[in-house]
Order: sequence, then C-alpha cells, then structure tokens
Amino acid sequence: MSVAAAAPQLELRGVTKRFGGVAAVDGVSFEIAKGEIVGIIGPNGAGKTTLLNCISGLHRLDGGDIRWQGESIAGVAPHRIARIGIGRTFQIVRPFGSMTVRENAAVGAMFGSDAARRGPKEAFEMADQVLELVGLEAKAGHPVSALTIPDRKRLEVARAVATKPQLLLLDEVMAGLNNVEIDEALEMVRAVHATGVTVLLIEHVMRVIVGVCRRAVVLDFGQVLAEGEPEVVLRDERVIQAYLGERYAKRLKS
Amino acid sequence: MIAQGLRDRRWRRIFLIVGVVVAAYALLAPLTSLDFAQSANVPLLADRLWFRLATYIAMFIVMATAWNIIGGITGYAAFGNVAFFGIGAYTTGMLIAKAKWPFLAALPFAPVVSALFAALVGLPLLRLRGHYFAVASLGVGVAVGELVQNIDYGGQPLFGGASGLFLPIFSIDNRGLFFFYLMVAAAAVAIFATRWVLRSRFGYGLIAIRENEEAAAVIGVNTTSYKVAAFALAAALTGLAGGIFSQWNVFINQDNAFPIEYNVQMILMALLGGTGTVFGPAAGAVLLQLLIQFLGGSLPISVDIPFVSTAARPIVAQVILGLLLVAVVIFVPRGVIDFFGGRSRLSLSYLRRSLRETSL
Repeated sequence: MSVAAAAPQLELRGVTKRFGGVAAVDGVSFEIAKGEIVGIIGPNGAGKTTLLNCISGLHRLDGGDIRWQGESIAGVAPHRIARIGIGRTFQIVRPFGSMTVRENAAVGAMFGSDAARRGPKEAFEMADQVLELVGLEAKAGHPVSALTIPDRKRLEVARAVATKPQLLLLDEVMAGLNNVEIDEALEMVRAVHATGVTVLLIEHVMRVIVGVCRRAVVLDFGQVLAEGEPEVVLRDERVIQAYLGERYAKRLKS
Repeated sequence: MIAQGLRDRRWRRIFLIVGVVVAAYALLAPLTSLDFAQSANVPLLADRLWFRLATYIAMFIVMATAWNIIGGITGYAAFGNVAFFGIGAYTTGMLIAKAKWPFLAALPFAPVVSALFAALVGLPLLRLRGHYFAVASLGVGVAVGELVQNIDYGGQPLFGGASGLFLPIFSIDNRGLFFFYLMVAAAAVAIFATRWVLRSRFGYGLIAIRENEEAAAVIGVNTTSYKVAAFALAAALTGLAGGIFSQWNVFINQDNAFPIEYNVQMILMALLGGTGTVFGPAAGAVLLQLLIQFLGGSLPISVDIPFVSTAARPIVAQVILGLLLVAVVIFVPRGVIDFFGGRSRLSLSYLRRSLRETSL
C-alpha cells in the first residue's frame, strides 16, 4: 500500500508502438502524479493519439511498459483499463447514435470504473449530475443527431466522466471550436478536474495548454522532444522547429 | 405540432387495438375446439389447419424475436441461427427417441445445448465484424446440418442419418391445442426476455456495442463476453422452439430441422417488423408467415398467380420473399413498427428519405 502511494499514478517507460516499419510512438517515458493536468502537444502525426490508444488498451505495445499506481497494465483489455479508472474521449466523437444525450451519459455510469457500475436507475441519476457538470442538462432528452459539434464534444466528455475515472484522457476536445466555445470547454475541463480527476489532454490550441496545464509534454516523430512548464516548453527552439520548420525557427530567432 | 401529436396517439391506439384483437383471437380460438365447447354448439374457429399455421407463426415469432437479440440489438447479423433450431430439435429428439426420456424432461435440454454450442462457436466467430461474421455464421448454419446427418458411430448413423429421426407420439388430449399453447408460451418467453434485455444494463451494453464497439470497450463494456452472452441467449430461445418442434412434428431430419430458408425468413421478419424493438419481430413474423403461406397456397383464401402452376408456387413464393427483403432493407430500414410507434408516417417522402439513407 505504501509502495503504491509513493508510485506515480501513471508511469510510461519506453512505450513503443510500430505500424509496419514506422514507429508511431518510439520509446516515450514520462510520469503523471495524481491530481495533475498534463498536456501533450506536437505536430500532426507525432503519435499523440497512438499514445492514448496505447494507454487505454486499444493498441498492444511493441515495447516498454505502462504502469498504473505501480502495476503494469500493458496488454490489458480496454474494458479492464476503464474498470481500474482510466477514462477517455475520442478525437472524432463516437456517440451512441440511437440513444438520447442522457442515455449516452448513463451508459458510462452503468459500466466504467469500480466507482461507477450501477443499475440503470441510479445510472440515470448520475447521468443528470454529469450533464450538469458539462453544461448539457438542457439537452438531456435530445437525440445525439440534434447536437451541435461543440455539444457532441461535451457529450463525449460527459460519457467519459460518468465512468468515474481517476485519470481522464482527453483527445483534442477543443479542436474545431471557436474562441467562445473554447473558453466554455476550458471551464468544463477545470470543473471536471476540480472533482479530483487527473487529466491528460492532447491539444493543438496552445491557449488551452497554457491556460490549464502546469506541465506539457511535446512529442515529435513519436519521441519526447521536450517536457516542462508550458510557457518554457513553447519557447524551446526545438519545439518551434518541429511545429514551424527549421527556416522559420531561425528567422524567429534573428 | 399538436395535430401531429394527436395523429400519433391515434395511430398508436389503432395499432394497440389491432394487436390486442389479433392476439385475443389467436389465444381464444383454440378453446372452441375443446369437447365441452363443441357440445355447447360453439362454432369451431380452429381446425387442424388453423393449429398447424398458428403454431408455425408462434414458432417464427420465437425465432425472429431471438434473432433480434443478436442481430437487432447487438448489431451482429447472424445468418446461421437455424443451426440452433436444429440443435434444439435434435437434442430433444435424441433424448426422446434414443434415451426414451419423456418430452417435458427432454425439452429443457434443447435451449441449454443450443446456448452452449453458441457460446463455443461465438467465441471465435464474434471476433469477426460486419460481413465476415455474417458469412462465417452462415457457414456454421450449413455445416451443423450436414454434420448431424452424416456423423456415424460404429457404422450406424448417430443421429438417424438421411432417414431422419422418428419420435414416439406425445399422447395427450387435444395435441394441436397443447403444442400451440406451448409454442405461444415460448414466444412469450422470447418477448419478455427482449423486454428485460432492453431495460437492463446488459441491453445498454449491447446497444453500445452495436453503435460503436471501441467506444463501448473504453467505457468498460466487456464486449467479448457481452456479445457471446447475447448470441447464447438468442440460441437458447431458438433452440427452445426447435425442441418443441421436434415433438410436435414427430419426425425430424436435415430438411425440416435445418432449413436454410429459415435463416433468411427470421431476419426478414425482424427487419420487416423493426429491429431492436420488443414487438417488431413478432409483428413481422405474423405478417410474413401469413404472406408465405398465402403465396404457397396453404391459406383458405387464395388467389391464382398468373402463369404459375400450383407446383411452382413455393418457388415463386421464395422469389417474392427475396424481392421483399430487398425492398424492406432499402425502403423501410427501421421496420413497419416505425409507422405505429408514432415516429413516422408511411408516405412517398418517407420512402424517398429511406432510399437516400440506405444508398450511397
């Protein structure tokens, strides 16, 4: 017990995932402590989503290890990962189309972590609380098809939060939103974090990373390029190069 | 908007009334064949032909409702469910004919053996998705029938071989009435099972799998065991129908216990009535079985189909069923129950919209 308490909540050690000859994630190591908000940034194709898929059990690792509270969870099935308390959203939202907004959230509460897993009646009560948290309570009875894109992203978060995770992996929940919507979504992430959930989020919008994260990990070509406070990391020359190309980085410097 | 709501409620009420009248007639008509009713000069509403037809309809209600659990609710298009019907029929048949068990003791083993078999083949099969699962399940459906006919043991066909299996007649007064009510009881079990599934955590998990299997997995649904459980439940119900069929029909062989066309018929019934709903497959089973019997010329009311001889009518019936399957899948993808639930009204624009949804 004391050993588990001392260990970081999530620990990645040399995580590697190859597709054919390409290493989409190549020896990535970092740790997340309980209660943190950590951002993962990096250019397109840097391996961010692949890394989340590795953590949530959708991909089998080709190397390295992932530890949850000190114990290896590499090769564990996705539903078991959810059960131990790791929830996630998908970048391209995947709502259950035939269900209402409320039912979508309720399914999360029926399954999910050991703290969730309740019968339909209680699950619907919990769904109402979660929908209020993400600001969807007015649309609880709507079919998913009636939701706007920002609302669908909220629903994706609501369903994941309803599983009562200890760690929530958010895959670009702000992509495609306008400035006002991003502010609202930021509020939502802070509200979820305030309930005691550790958050690991992938984001392209730098404002989000700087706004909510204490720490950011930069990925490029599947490897960790830099890690640290967002403001510092974003001024790192290698990071600017990765995003904007070598020539632009030089011009920016001079 | 208000007018629309009133019209919806009226449609729902009409549907309910029609359903109750049909069900009441079907459940009460057999009673007129009882001796005391006949001696009291009650007109006979159910003769032998009536019982045969009504029992067949009830049997298809079981199969279509069972298929709905794996095909409609879980979204895995099983094309080989007739295997479970046949396994149920042969389980009960073998226990009665060879082990000399009484029928009512042998019947519970039909759903059990069918479910065990489904769990066994489901574990590898349900890893396949989409068309691959459909084709593989069809293969199992065909293979089991062939195996049952061709397995020999000590030079003797184990399951009666090509000459089939004869069961001793179940001696009871009013046999037709008994088997009709037994099959209706099985149909009721299937419908209540579906109702329970749709309201339970289990059912929500299955629908989540149908809507997006990866999303279901990452919120904690054990997709493999849920799919296998749904498949086994469908198999158990189908096997129960098969078990009743074997004693009702007294004789079973590959042709009547593993008819390939049942695969298509039960799916068509569920699609026609409305997949994923409680009563849709049952409504589809009644409509389609009546149509099949009508086309085959075994209903009291019959019309001549031009240019078709009596002998060719069953074949023409299959052709018409095939065309109907195509039409239903394209034009009424949510089933006819969609019109009665008050969600939509049958109109040209509905058909046009469906065509847009189902075509590229």
